[in-house]
Amino acid sequence: MRTRVLVMLAGLGLLTAAVPVWAHHAFAAEFDQKKPLKLKGTVVRWEVTNPHSWIHMEVKGDDGQTVTWMIEGGSPNNLYRLGFTKDSLPPGAEIVVEGYQAKDGSNRAVGKNVTFTDGRRLFLGLQMPGADGERK
Amino acid sequence: MTRLALITALAATLAGLVLAQAPAKSWTPPRTPDGKPDLEGVWTNNTVTPLERPKDLAGKEFYTGAELAAGMKKEHERLDQNVEEGRPTQPGTADDVHYDFSEYGLDRAQTKLAWNRRTSIIVGTGGTIPPLTPEAAKRRAERRAKAKGHQFDGPESMSLSARCIARANVGPPLLPAAYNSNLQIVQGAGYVVIEAEMIHDARVIPTDGRPHIAKNIKQWMGDSVGHWEGNTLVIDTTNFTDLNPFEDAQNLHVVERLTRVDPDTILYQFTVEDPGMWTKPWSGELPISKIDGQLYEYACHEANYGLVNTLRGARVAEEEAAKKKEGK
Repeated sequence: MRTRVLVMLAGLGLLTAAVPVWAHHAFAAEFDQKKPLKLKGTVVRWEVTNPHSWIHMEVKGDDGQTVTWMIEGGSPNNLYRLGFTKDSLPPGAEIVVEGYQAKDGSNRAVGKNVTFTDGRRLFLGLQMPGADGERK
Repeated sequence: MTRLALITALAATLAGLVLAQAPAKSWTPPRTPDGKPDLEGVWTNNTVTPLERPKDLAGKEFYTGAELAAGMKKEHERLDQNVEEGRPTQPGTADDVHYDFSEYGLDRAQTKLAWNRRTSIIVGTGGTIPPLTPEAAKRRAERRAKAKGHQFDGPESMSLSARCIARANVGPPLLPAAYNSNLQIVQGAGYVVIEAEMIHDARVIPTDGRPHIAKNIKQWMGDSVGHWEGNTLVIDTTNFTDLNPFEDAQNLHVVERLTRVDPDTILYQFTVEDPGMWTKPWSGELPISKIDGQLYEYACHEANYGLVNTLRGARVAEEEAAKKKEGK
């Protein structure tokens, strides 16, 4: 629940339309917008680190082989405000992650959201295409 | 109350609000134990007001109340479409990701906004950064030409924020970040500290009358000294490194004025100058609003894998480009 949201939906459409959405670093340089993915697996460990957090999860492929994926999520301050706690992703937890694969084709992805077995879904709040870093 | 009604009511309340140059005379800010105006607390300068005035608003310094209300309503409708109705989006498109981003609690449209009717943070009829001097224009063009196509050559060619070194929102001047414009102000006898949550910076500002540090010492955020003028904290900052993230300036001088005008608002005003950079000084102002809660640690250097991944991605892209060229 986003109970901390103080003023919802307040913005000048005329202005926000032109406001670029920034992130810590460029989405397009790290992840491939054309490679959306959905992974079902179990948490191995969760690095709640800055500037971004990383979920390590094991995913069983169609061939029965288990592979480890690293999923990038928002920074700890953002995750807490989005409803995560330090106990949200214990080792062994079954989760489904939606995101975008790394540009180098490795088993890394940026996470959009994580869904738990009870249906709860939390946004991983991170980057998005078009995020080109700081003002030059 | 429906959200639309809330927005409308808020817009109506704000319709008459224009932050004036002078603080309200009827209100006296609380004092710290040593008798100085109390600016302490957790604040945000989150805003939708752009630094420079959009071209189509040239000459128009303020929105009318009706225009402000219309803009807020339009924004409400835009988010309605994507969030509340859950309109399906196509995976792999920017819209798909933006759909989720619009739920992001730190989106500038969702956390508390410091509202005012200004059409730009920069004040005056122009509302834009003044023209560069010919030397500065040449310097900037050369730097950009040199950097073009080399953004991801190595870690040092990447932006200061990606490298966790500095971020433009900290300035000075303090300007809103795209998301998470949270600030905390702490005061002690002879000092004011302004901490920005993103990406970790704390400005320690002595107010005991000491001079600036020696001219040859240059710092990322410059050297700030402050003094009180009535209820206003005046901060003078020099000694910036020419690598600082603010607009390529090489001899930046910033004067900031912070005046608490009511329990929930600090009026923030600034003037910047660098005769080698701009043809004249320029000034801006925006409100800083009180928010609940605390700042969280943002120890940016902790595990910056993103930098490595970005460089990997760039190498793959180069390989693909080289293969394509060979194939032709």
